[in-house]
Amino acid sequence: MASRSSIAELGNKLQSLPKPALYLILFLVASLPLIKPIPLPNSPDPASIDFYAHLMELPEGSKILICSDWTNSTRGESMGEMDALLRVLMRRKIKFAVYSIGDGQAPRVARETIARISREEGGGQPLYKPYEDYVVIGFFPNGEGQTAAVNTNVRAAFAGKTDISPTGQREVVQSPVFEGINSLADFKYLINVTASSTNTVILERIKKTNLMFAVSGVMVPENTVYYASGQLKGLLGGIKGVYDMETLMEYGVNNPGPHMVTSAAYGQIPGFPGKANTGKGTAYYPALHVCLSVLILAVITGNVGMFLSRKGR
Amino acid sequence: MDYQLFKLTCGVVAILGLYTVLYRENKFYRFWEHVFLGLAAGYSMVFLWSETLKGGWWDKMVGTTAEHANGSGASMAYPFYAALLPIGLMGYTVFNKKYNWMSRVPIGIILGLYSGQQISAWQNRYVPNIVSSMKPVIPTTLEFTKPLTKGLSKEATAAINANLYPSQAITNIIFLVTLLSVLSYFLFSFDVKSKIIHRMSLNGRWLLMIGFGAIFGSTVMMRFTLLIDRMYFIWIEWFKQGILHR
Amino acid sequence: MLPIFADLDPHTIWNAPSGSIELVIKCMVALLLGAAFVGICFAIPSQLRRFIIFTATFVSGGFYILFYYFPAPIARQPLDQPRNVLEGFSFWLTDAQPIIATISNTIGSFLIGLGIYSLMRVHLRKLMKKQKDWGYSLVLFVSMLLMVTFGYWDYFDRFGKDGAAMAAGPAGGAWHFQQYANDILFDGFFQQMEAGMFSMVAFYILSAAYRAFRARSIEATILLATALVVMLSVMGAVVYQWDEGIKALAHNDPGSFLNNFKLDVIAAWLKDAVQTPSIRGIDFGVGIGLLAMGLRLWLNLDKTGGAV
Repeated sequence: MASRSSIAELGNKLQSLPKPALYLILFLVASLPLIKPIPLPNSPDPASIDFYAHLMELPEGSKILICSDWTNSTRGESMGEMDALLRVLMRRKIKFAVYSIGDGQAPRVARETIARISREEGGGQPLYKPYEDYVVIGFFPNGEGQTAAVNTNVRAAFAGKTDISPTGQREVVQSPVFEGINSLADFKYLINVTASSTNTVILERIKKTNLMFAVSGVMVPENTVYYASGQLKGLLGGIKGVYDMETLMEYGVNNPGPHMVTSAAYGQIPGFPGKANTGKGTAYYPALHVCLSVLILAVITGNVGMFLSRKGR
Repeated sequence: MDYQLFKLTCGVVAILGLYTVLYRENKFYRFWEHVFLGLAAGYSMVFLWSETLKGGWWDKMVGTTAEHANGSGASMAYPFYAALLPIGLMGYTVFNKKYNWMSRVPIGIILGLYSGQQISAWQNRYVPNIVSSMKPVIPTTLEFTKPLTKGLSKEATAAINANLYPSQAITNIIFLVTLLSVLSYFLFSFDVKSKIIHRMSLNGRWLLMIGFGAIFGSTVMMRFTLLIDRMYFIWIEWFKQGILHR
Repeated sequence: MLPIFADLDPHTIWNAPSGSIELVIKCMVALLLGAAFVGICFAIPSQLRRFIIFTATFVSGGFYILFYYFPAPIARQPLDQPRNVLEGFSFWLTDAQPIIATISNTIGSFLIGLGIYSLMRVHLRKLMKKQKDWGYSLVLFVSMLLMVTFGYWDYFDRFGKDGAAMAAGPAGGAWHFQQYANDILFDGFFQQMEAGMFSMVAFYILSAAYRAFRARSIEATILLATALVVMLSVMGAVVYQWDEGIKALAHNDPGSFLNNFKLDVIAAWLKDAVQTPSIRGIDFGVGIGLLAMGLRLWLNLDKTGGAV
C-alpha cells in the first residue's frame, strides 16, 4: 500500500509543476538558442519549393500584386515571409503593387519592410524606388467587395488611390508599376502574405490570376487543403516556410552539392549563394526546436503523472 | 544614446511591462495595457483617413485639379459621394435606445453585399476541392508499390505515373472514407437510425481529431515563434546589437 | 457604370470640375439628400423599419447575385458598346461593381469609427466621473491624442515634395521632430507591444498543454498523437536524425520498404491521406454554414440581434 501511495504521490507531483517554473523554463529556452543559432538540416516542403520555383520562373520585369495583411503582431512569421519574398522579387527585378484588406496598419508596416529590404539589397542605398518599382496602395475595409473589384477591373478597383512619388503624392494607377496592366491577368501572381482570414476572401473571389499564399503557422493545415486541390500554386507556412525559403535562396533546387534540395517536379533552379539569404528562419528555427521539445516533454510528464496517480489509487 | 537604441529601449520597456502580467495583474501592466489601447485607437483614427477615406472617398468626391495632380492629370469630382457620409453615420445610432434600429441600415448594406457574394464565393472555394476529392480507388496494376522513377527516361516515368498502384488506391480509399466520415459527422448531427451512418459519424469524430491535432500542432508552432521573436527583439536587437555593439 | 459616382463623360450632371463652385453646391445637395434620408428614418413609423432594413440588405445582396449570374461580357474591349438592352445591362453590372466596392469601403470605414467611439465613451465617462481607475483612462486618452497628433502631422508632411525623402527613414535627412515622435509611438511602442501581446499566449499554451492535454479517451489520444507527429515533422533536426536511422536500417537501399517509416514520409502520408480530408470535411461543413448564413442574411430571415 505504501508503495502504491508513493506512486500516486509521484504522479501528483509530476502533474503539479508550478506555473512560474514552466514560464521561466519557456523564457529561457526561447532565449538561449538565439545567442548562437546552429544551422539545422532542412528538407523544404514541396509547397515551399513550388512557391520559390514559380517566383524564379517569372521573366525579369514581370509584375505581381501582393496583398499584405500582416502587422507586427505576427512579426516572427509574417515578416520573415515578406522579407524572403521581397528579396527574391528585388533580385529578379520584378515590380509589385501592395494593398491590404486585413488590417489598417498593414500598409505602413509593408512600406517600412519594403524600404528596409530595399536598403539591405542595395547595400545601404535603396535598390527599389517607391512609385517607380513598387507602389503601396492602401487599406480597403470591405475586403470582400474590394477583392471582387480587383478581379473585375483592377485599374478601376484602385483608381483614385495615391502613393508617395519623387514629386509628391500621385495616383497609383499612373505609376510605372501599372504600365501595361489592363486586367488582373496582367499581374502574373497575386500573393497574399497574411495572418488573418483574408486568404479565404481572396480564394473565393480571384479567378483571373494565379494565387500563392504565405500564411502564419496556425493557418497551414487549412491552406494545405487548397494547395492540395491546386487552387494555390505555392504555399509558405509559418517559420518552417521562412526557413524553407532561406534554404532555397541559398542552395536553389536540384543544384549538386552537400546541401542539395531535390525536387522531381523541376529542373535546376539557381539560388543566390553569397547574398544575404539568412533571416528570421535561420535565427528562430533552433529555438523553435527547443521550445517544441519542452512542450512535448511537459505533455509527456503530465500524462505519465496521470497514469502513475491512477495506478497508485 | 542614439535614436535607434532609444526606440528599441522604448519597445523593450513596454514589452517587459506587458509581460509582468504573467506573474499577476499589476499596476505596471495596466498602465502599459492602456497605453497600448490608446495607441491602437489613435492609429485607427489616423489610418481611417490616410489609408482609406482620403483616396477611396474624399479624392473621388472632390476630384483633383491639374496643379495638385503631380502630373497624373486632373480628374472630375463626383459630389454624390457626399451622401454616403450621413448614411455611414447612421451606424452611430447604435448607442441610442430609441433609434438604434437605424444603425442596421449601413450594416445591412454591408451584410447584403457580403451575402450576395456567398453563392459564387462558395463555388469558387469548394468546387475545386470537391473535384480534387474524387480520387480513383481501383488499381490499374498488381504491383503493390510505385517503383522509383529516379534516373528513368521521361517516357518510362510517364508510364509509371499513369498507373494507379494498390498502395496508392488504399491511400485514396482512406482519404475518401475520412472525408465522408467527417462530413457525415457534420451533416447527421441529429439522431440517425441507420447504423452505418451512425458508425461513420463516430469514425468522423475520431478522424476529426486528426485535423484538430494538426491545427493544435501548428498553433503551438506559431505561438512559440512569436515568443521567440520577442526574445530575439530583446536579446539580439536591443541587448546584443543595441547595447553591446554600439 | 453608376454615373452618380463615376462616368467616362468629362462633364455631366452627376460630376463637377474639381475646386468649382458647382462642386460645392452639388456636394451640399448630396449631403442634404443623405441627411433627408436619415431624417425620414428618424420620423418613420415602427412598422416600416423592418422594411427599410430588408430593402437595404436585399438590394445590396441582389446586386451581387445579378453580377455573378447575369451573363457577363466575354473578352470585352474598353471601347466596345452594347448592342442591345441585355448587353447594356451586362456592361453596366461589370462597370458598376468596382464602384459598389468603393461605396462599401466607404461605409465600412465610417463603421470602423464605431469601435473607437465606443472605447472613448466608456473611458470618457470614467474620467469625467472620476470612477475607480480613472487614471488609466487618462493614460489611454493621452496616448491616443499623441498618436493622432503626431500621426496626422507626419502624414500631412509626407504630402509634400519631401515625402519620398521622409519615406527613406531617419537616414534620409528629411525627418523633423514630428516624424521621430510618430516613429517612436508607432514602431517603438505600438508595434512592439502588439507583438508582445500576441506572444504571451505561448506561456499559456505551455501551461494549458501540461495541465490539460491528457490521453484520457480515444479522441484525446488521437489528438495528442497527431499533434506530436506534426510538431516532430517541423523539427528538421529530429526528422534528419530519424531518417538517417531508417536509411542505415535499410542499408541505404532507396527501394527498401523501410523507407516508408521515415518521419517526413509518415508526416506527408498522414497529411495527404488523413489530415487533408478531415480538414476538408471541416471546411465543407463551415462552407455549408456560411452559405446558409449568407442566404439568411440576404433574405432577412435572421430575427436575432434586438427588436426593430
